[in-house]
Amino acid sequence: MSILSFDDEIEERGYDVRARRDAGGGTGPLYIVCSPRKSVGKTLLARLIAEFYFAHDRPIAAFDLADEGPQLSDFLPDVTTAVELGSMRGQMGFFDRLIGEKHAAKVVDVSHRMFRDFFVIANKIGILEEASRRGIEPIILFLIDPDEKSAGAYSILQRWFAEISLLPVRNQIVSNGIPYWGSFPNESPIHVALEVPLLSASVKNLIAQTSFSFARFQRTQSIGLPVRLDDELRGFIRRVFRQFCEMEQRRMCGDVRGHWSSSP
Amino acid sequence: MAKPVVVLVGADKGGVGKTTVSRTILDYLAARKIPTRAFDTEWPRGTLKRFHPDITEVVDVTSVADQMKIFDTLETSSAAVTLIDVRAGIMSSTLNALRNIGFLDAGRKGQLTFALFHILGSSIASLDEIAETSHYLADAKYFLVKNFINNTSFFEWDQATYNSYFKQFKDAVEITIPQLSEMAYEQVELVAAPFTNFIANKAANGLPANHSFVLRGYVRHWLENVWSEFDRVKFLDLVGVREGATEATKPRLMKLAEAAAS
Repeated sequence: MSILSFDDEIEERGYDVRARRDAGGGTGPLYIVCSPRKSVGKTLLARLIAEFYFAHDRPIAAFDLADEGPQLSDFLPDVTTAVELGSMRGQMGFFDRLIGEKHAAKVVDVSHRMFRDFFVIANKIGILEEASRRGIEPIILFLIDPDEKSAGAYSILQRWFAEISLLPVRNQIVSNGIPYWGSFPNESPIHVALEVPLLSASVKNLIAQTSFSFARFQRTQSIGLPVRLDDELRGFIRRVFRQFCEMEQRRMCGDVRGHWSSSP
Repeated sequence: MAKPVVVLVGADKGGVGKTTVSRTILDYLAARKIPTRAFDTEWPRGTLKRFHPDITEVVDVTSVADQMKIFDTLETSSAAVTLIDVRAGIMSSTLNALRNIGFLDAGRKGQLTFALFHILGSSIASLDEIAETSHYLADAKYFLVKNFINNTSFFEWDQATYNSYFKQFKDAVEITIPQLSEMAYEQVELVAAPFTNFIANKAANGLPANHSFVLRGYVRHWLENVWSEFDRVKFLDLVGVREGATEATKPRLMKLAEAAAS
């Protein structure tokens, strides 16, 4: 079966990405995927988070601040809103919606070009603190890389958003060799090591197709890939989703590591 | 009993933001629970009164009757601070009237505290206004307010010229009002409520409203900066610091926002 006929099979199975139901209930978190550097895997990570929610039939809304393709709205057009931060109306439409709707989780893909503007505005208007007050937990997922600019930006975010979870994410393609707790310490209450594993060129090409869905792939027995690639991709999705599961659990239950270590 | 405090906000030029600055002062004092009354000299229609109707009275400051209403009640009023928002074009004549009735002398003798917030426009005429105004002031507290709220660039000003004017008045203190997003400013205008009400997501009557969080955030950030300027120039020293009045500006405004969220 070719990848192009994949949609048909999924529809036969009754799985439709357009009709998300909330299986989890409660208030969805707000994930902000960012880096001041280009080509570090921001859109891939934002996609994976959205697909993780699809896979669990939980509602998610995605927001795309990128200005060059391929971008999140190319991969997830049904759930993604393109954001324009340059105008006050654009900011109102975006930020007011981020905190206005509590039920669905949200993922924001902040392009490297919008990194500064986004966080300057967020800091100025106090949107992340406001989200927290409304029970929407903001989690900043920062894709780390060896550039000094990234370490500097990370440190600024830590200072500006001291009460918000800021988690370093290692994309193995770009961040091999960076010690976890060096320039990018995780001081948030969510102690989880997030990693985007390496993929072979063939699988990378496959997931780069805008019609590809990780959640649909995971739910399908086979799409006709060679076994080696099929295994590699399933392993990749399993590994990433397991990390997200762990992050979700720690987010909802509160991380106990700090409590244990401080116990007598 | 504490000395009465009179704060005059004025400029001879129109449209430089006198009422906006008056509103920020009234909000600042209200947040610190300092009893204040205001007189709006945009007679008979009024502008400041739209935003602070409970404490504001519209007066014709050029009439003797209304001058009596303001100045003869300084001692007896329960308000610790009297703010007068002087409409465009009459600041010099108002100061002249204050001198003629002996008000400025009373300030000089320490019987009352007098502060002038002189709102500067972007034109060179504002610099001439400073020279004209300053000779009335003697011991009064003189604040020169550069108002950037509408993105004024003060394009006509040569900094050296400004400095030469500024240095003539050794006791003058400069205050900068930063820029506020036009849409946020207009929204508060439409609501016709104090800035603090808007930040707290309340309507003019104090009932819950549904203002944009983004606009409220911008207004809160802007007002924090304005109040920080008032803190910096120790404006409260004029009034006499009271218990609980010294809490920093930022936590105060954050509390308003938090109250709105809860």
